[in-house]
Amino acid sequence: MKFYLKLGFILLAFCVVATAILAYVNSVTKPRIDELKRVAAQEAMAQLIPNAEFSDVVIHLPEGASIPDSLVYYIATAKGDSTSILGYIFTAEKHGYSSNVKTIAAIDTEFKLINIKVIEQAETPGLGANCSSDSFADMFKGLLPEKLLVDKDGGEVKAMTGATITTRAVTNSLRETIAIVRKDIESRANTQPEVEA
Amino acid sequence: MSFFKELTKGIIKENPTFVIVLGMCPTLATSTSVNNAIGMGIAATFVLVCSNIMISLIKNITPDKIRIPVYVVVIAAFVSVVDMAMAAYIPDLHKSLGLFIPLIVVNCIILGRAEAFANKNNVLNSMADGIGMGLGFTLSLSVVATIRELLGNGTWLGIRILPQSYNPMLIAILAPGAFFTLGFLMAAINMLKEKR
Repeated sequence: MKFYLKLGFILLAFCVVATAILAYVNSVTKPRIDELKRVAAQEAMAQLIPNAEFSDVVIHLPEGASIPDSLVYYIATAKGDSTSILGYIFTAEKHGYSSNVKTIAAIDTEFKLINIKVIEQAETPGLGANCSSDSFADMFKGLLPEKLLVDKDGGEVKAMTGATITTRAVTNSLRETIAIVRKDIESRANTQPEVEA
Repeated sequence: MSFFKELTKGIIKENPTFVIVLGMCPTLATSTSVNNAIGMGIAATFVLVCSNIMISLIKNITPDKIRIPVYVVVIAAFVSVVDMAMAAYIPDLHKSLGLFIPLIVVNCIILGRAEAFANKNNVLNSMADGIGMGLGFTLSLSVVATIRELLGNGTWLGIRILPQSYNPMLIAILAPGAFFTLGFLMAAINMLKEKR
């Protein structure tokens, strides 16, 4: 009995040391990682809508919705003129074939897609993974949310060869998120005509 | 055994993938392109060398009965530290290798070498073993990936080798292609061995 207790305590000691090291490294690196992530997100947004300033809006979704209970989108306003809205930026996410596909997208004030970029995916290389290419993103430029459906579902997005599921995940996540963002923008416009940045 | 012998045995004679048949899961998952294979190989080699050194250092204070859980703790902690440090200080490298880092924890080559080598040998030899095994792993991953990328995409390291008119054999990139390639390569290696 004593022997096994001793083993347990030795293992505990190893775990305590390991946890302490991890906690220390985490406390040192976390601020830096968060900062880098923020900068990367800013850069991605600046690529989608150049020469703009961004302010974020948080939408709280009703409980039980399929996506997390809040959604953040960004209002892009012209630099130095916070009243002229250039468009909106949001991220959309849906499970594709083998991973969560995360897309960042920009829409203009008529909810037409300006550009998209798949920022996170681990789909099949050579098939679904091609969704992070520029030619895939180009397909979405200028599409209205009503046309945002894969061609097999009656829309205007041409499914990639051998990767209909990935294409569908991107397309549907964009369409669904645009609908949520649009509802919020329109309700804001009705209640307070001047959207504060 | 000499330092040099430990260093070279992992490359062919005791190749972790083809001869010891360790680390099949990352082999199948990351050999879809040469780029991925080299990334995984480098990341795994780095962790392997460091974990071999660590385990060789603590081998005298680790009770035999609980050595495996202790190794798992050491390896997992080490991988997390590497992951966080890379994300904070070399974000570019982390972007390309980051995907593979969590996969390293489940890479049984690392636990396998800790158990089979590092807990019986001194620090210097353990380091050599880690480097050799890591290089062997990288090499075999690259061989599998070369075949799969060439057949499945017509490219090597992203450079187009086969003409545009070549219709890619998609199965080579999908999971079954990994099994086919691995099976044929192992058969070829065994045939060569028997002939000798």
